[in-house]
Amino acid sequence: MVSLPFSASMPLARSLSVTSLSGLEDWDEEFDLEGAVLFEIAWEVANKVGGIYTVIQTKARLTSEEWGENYFLVGPYMENNVRTQVELIEPTNPALSRTIDKMNSSGCKVYFGRWLIEGSPYVVLIDVAFTAWSLDRWKSELWESFSVGVPWFDREANDAVLFGFLTAWLLGEFAAQCEEPPHILAHFHEWLAGLGLMLCRQRRLPVATIFTTHATLLGRYLCAGNVDFYNNLSNFNVDKEAGDRQIYHRYCLERAAAHCAHVFTTVSQITAVEAEHLLKRKPDVVTPNGLNVKKFSAMHEFQNLHAHSKSRIQEFIRGHFYGHLDFNLDKCVFLFIAGRYEFSNKGADLFLEALSRLNYLLRVNHSDVTVIAFFIMPARTNNFNVETLKGQAVRKQLWDTAQTVKEKFGKKLYESLLVGQLPDVSKMLDKEDFTMMKRAIFATQRQCQPPICTHNMLEDSSDPILNCLRRIGLFNGSSDRVKVIFHPEFLSSTSPLLPMDYEEFVRGCHLGVFPSYYEPWGYTPAECTVMGIPSVSTNLSGFGCFMEEHIADPSAYGIYIVDRRYRSVDESCNQLTSFLFQFCQQSRRQRIIQRNRTERLSDLLDWRYLGRYYVSARHMALAKTFPDTYFYEPQDPTSKQGFCYPRPASVPPSPALSRHSSPHHSEAEDEDDERYDEDLEAEKDRLNIRQPFSLPYRNKNALPCVSPVPNGNSTPSSATSPPSSITSPPSSVSSEKN
Amino acid sequence: MPVTDQAFVTLATNDAYSQGALVIGKCLRRHGTSRQTVVMVTSHVSQGTRAALAEVFHQVKDVEVLDSSDWAHLNMMGRPELGITLTKLHCWALTEYIKCVFLDADMLVLCNVDELFDREELSAAPDPGWPDCFNSGMFIFRPSLQTHTRLLKWAREHGSFDGGDQGLLNSFFSGWSTEDISKHLPFIYNLSISTVYSYLPAFQQFGPKAKIIHFLGALKPWHCKYDHQKGEVYLGDGSLCHLHLGPFMKQWWVEYCRPAAPSFTQTDIWQDLEAPPQKQTVSVEVTHQEDSSLHTEASPPTAPKEMFQGAHQADRPPGDEGVASEWTHPQDPPPVEEGRALGSGVLGSSQSEELVLELPASIGDLAIHLTPEEEDLEHKRQWEEGHADYLGKDAFDNIKKKLDKFLK
Repeated sequence: MVSLPFSASMPLARSLSVTSLSGLEDWDEEFDLEGAVLFEIAWEVANKVGGIYTVIQTKARLTSEEWGENYFLVGPYMENNVRTQVELIEPTNPALSRTIDKMNSSGCKVYFGRWLIEGSPYVVLIDVAFTAWSLDRWKSELWESFSVGVPWFDREANDAVLFGFLTAWLLGEFAAQCEEPPHILAHFHEWLAGLGLMLCRQRRLPVATIFTTHATLLGRYLCAGNVDFYNNLSNFNVDKEAGDRQIYHRYCLERAAAHCAHVFTTVSQITAVEAEHLLKRKPDVVTPNGLNVKKFSAMHEFQNLHAHSKSRIQEFIRGHFYGHLDFNLDKCVFLFIAGRYEFSNKGADLFLEALSRLNYLLRVNHSDVTVIAFFIMPARTNNFNVETLKGQAVRKQLWDTAQTVKEKFGKKLYESLLVGQLPDVSKMLDKEDFTMMKRAIFATQRQCQPPICTHNMLEDSSDPILNCLRRIGLFNGSSDRVKVIFHPEFLSSTSPLLPMDYEEFVRGCHLGVFPSYYEPWGYTPAECTVMGIPSVSTNLSGFGCFMEEHIADPSAYGIYIVDRRYRSVDESCNQLTSFLFQFCQQSRRQRIIQRNRTERLSDLLDWRYLGRYYVSARHMALAKTFPDTYFYEPQDPTSKQGFCYPRPASVPPSPALSRHSSPHHSEAEDEDDERYDEDLEAEKDRLNIRQPFSLPYRNKNALPCVSPVPNGNSTPSSATSPPSSITSPPSSVSSEKN
Repeated sequence: MPVTDQAFVTLATNDAYSQGALVIGKCLRRHGTSRQTVVMVTSHVSQGTRAALAEVFHQVKDVEVLDSSDWAHLNMMGRPELGITLTKLHCWALTEYIKCVFLDADMLVLCNVDELFDREELSAAPDPGWPDCFNSGMFIFRPSLQTHTRLLKWAREHGSFDGGDQGLLNSFFSGWSTEDISKHLPFIYNLSISTVYSYLPAFQQFGPKAKIIHFLGALKPWHCKYDHQKGEVYLGDGSLCHLHLGPFMKQWWVEYCRPAAPSFTQTDIWQDLEAPPQKQTVSVEVTHQEDSSLHTEASPPTAPKEMFQGAHQADRPPGDEGVASEWTHPQDPPPVEEGRALGSGVLGSSQSEELVLELPASIGDLAIHLTPEEEDLEHKRQWEEGHADYLGKDAFDNIKKKLDKFLK
């Protein structure tokens, strides 16, 4: 292996995406997609209902780069959505054009257009309601073919029936309209699209099928019902659980689709375990969700954004805590949790308990750090409460007073200088100024504690967060080192209270805390990571699993992963507390270094990197369906290959446990710390992420065998090692190239 | 003379209980009641079932579900499904009648009980578990919107000490146990067969006089399987019913199957009823919303005869195997004459005759089919009502087998 020498002339600006892509080019050379057509089918194509929309929308760019004219997204036609995000055009592909004409002349309404998002992919949109007259006939066919019936009162499931039959019709008609036998690949997302897949198989269409679940129906229901989910995963009588919850027909559609698919995928290892037990099929590929990472041309721009947003949060804090500003704002650490208000699924319960323990730890250690924890979870409210609005008004008034005095002061200073005299400081402020300032100070007197909740809650007495705070006694008292602010509404840049949007807010915080119990993927910590903000997640969230698998020392990179799977709640809580305590003890410089490292991981979460799992799944499906044309080397499950983001080259920024006894090491000490070399470290990470793309070739020549690369805790110098995942194929290319 | 301002009222909250209600309606008719019959149904009862009920009852009345939401109490009794029985309070709103008799759907009326209308509100029989309380499975009441409102208010303010309607009614009509002995109905009007064992000699002494049987507890007749040829009732797991329970279960099934002869035309039904049993047996499958595969091996037209034989056996001393069963009731016409009574006396009123004649169709509509096509259609309908038999024949393993056929 040859590693590049590091020199001062190495370009410092980040342009990693190029290296990440290199593998893809290799693959394109080897593998001929001519003649293959990809349909990606989901209910949330150009139709935002939940999280699947984000996945499909962000992934579209990469997929359309790869497939070009032969990539079509298929979704439901919704007039509002089409008006705002689709440009209707004539179909470009002649066979598809004939298909759509044929369907439209047979009583369907099928539209073709471009989805106006990054990559502007083609979309085929089907008006489901227009064919509702066929529902009874199709339900009978559904019954005859699969022995599954759909209740008349489940509107969503009835839509799924219509959508399923229409998509299968589309694919079948398209296959018939193609002159040569086509290689159609159809990728279905979620149970709502699953029936189309089942019909493709049942009608024996020449279609390679992939089914992706982003979470299982039953898992969601069970976790919402406070079941000890993961410990009982293998014990559930799934038919009964689904039937008892009145979702048996949906569950049947989901499980049948998973069973029929050529290739079955889920979004994370934890959901793979869930699917294995609840859908009784082990996913062939895990396809994690990516993001489209925005690159800044200036290095460390994200650090500047952090500083800027942080100062705005500090302003808010000044107002919120007026009259009680007995803590040093520069020694404040801002933590936050955000998401749907699912108290225990999202781990708010664990976070609160850990905060109470952290409060105790900080107090007994006489720490000068103050922690302010934000809860951004929308609940039912009727507007802001008066006390919080007043706080911001008081701050504004103090600011105005200071500005007025400053004006007068400056004017006197100016006049004195004009006449060539040094000013007499004792006369700069007159009595009137002092009166004004005294009055302003008087207005900041406050009898009550700073409020916890920024809004008037409708269910104040039964709100789980507020009740938990009452129980653990965190009331923003002056002796508390942990203060809590509950903002029960999504953030908005037009809010009179905290005028920031979510992204700005995240950038201004120090740490996102997401100790979820049920989180199939978890975009929130992923978003933190690409903004360079460290986060806490769990090994029950897809994101946490993914990071744990790919990084040797996640916490050095600002990815704290709480073990909620194999530990009791109390142990998990202690672990979370110690993460938070460690984090609080970091110096400013250590936090900066950590943020740099966190931000570097964003390449790992970029679709350009993660998209390869989808590529792999597609290839596997094509090879299974059209073995004469495509070839896929099946992965040997025993050779677990170990790509792992190694430990950072420098010393981890978090203080080792032994240092706890002396947490007060000065910042000056760190300034001299020569052990950290940002550029060197970044370069090494960069080499690690450049994964030679090593998907097997179309030709059936035996691939050279590769000895497994040392796993896990490899030293930073072992720069290139293949990615580890259940799909990662033998890394033949990497060894040849190096 | 038909009395139009008095009525028997029962309640069906789902398709399963509707089968019980159907049997009550049929029994009342067969024993020639002169009163109206009303069944209250909730939204969970399917259209087909409503149609079947409409054939038997004078009135099918829609009511909303009233739930005590008092899960803690209901769970304490181990009967969380009981909450729905509060819905029966709606019977007080049936103000088109002056006086009514309420009957739970899990009852079996053995003879004419029109004399109950001589009693006043609120008359009822004691509960076997706590005789100072009345059992709310059967009671006489006077519909009144005022009482209805007061009851709902009471329910809201005081709840129910057992979470169900019985606790509520007993606290509302708290004077029942002490004030007026004429409101204490004899136990034979509401004989809970789950209590038979607790005082066996009394049961043997007075049991034959019973007029209304109450299938108290979680095991209902429609949960069992009935082998018509052997005349035996099996539990879900295939074992035989308890000794003392079996005959009543069987009687219920006899009533249930009585007119269930889809091959009959409307004109020859009465001749066939009196004709000797047919030799060939027709396999009839009874499908059911909750319990699948209630298989009934039945030779349909023989149902009345079978029952009469059972009635004759009742002369044997009680205590023996299969004996504490069907008694002859003094009030009932002699068994052999019953068929004639059906044809001539009671059914003299054209109204009743029409109703009974329509019954085969309605039962067919309910659950029993002969052709696989119809059976398949019914099966699909169950799915579409949200009642897939997910623990039985609709288990995913069976669906998977179907999928695997084309996945090869």
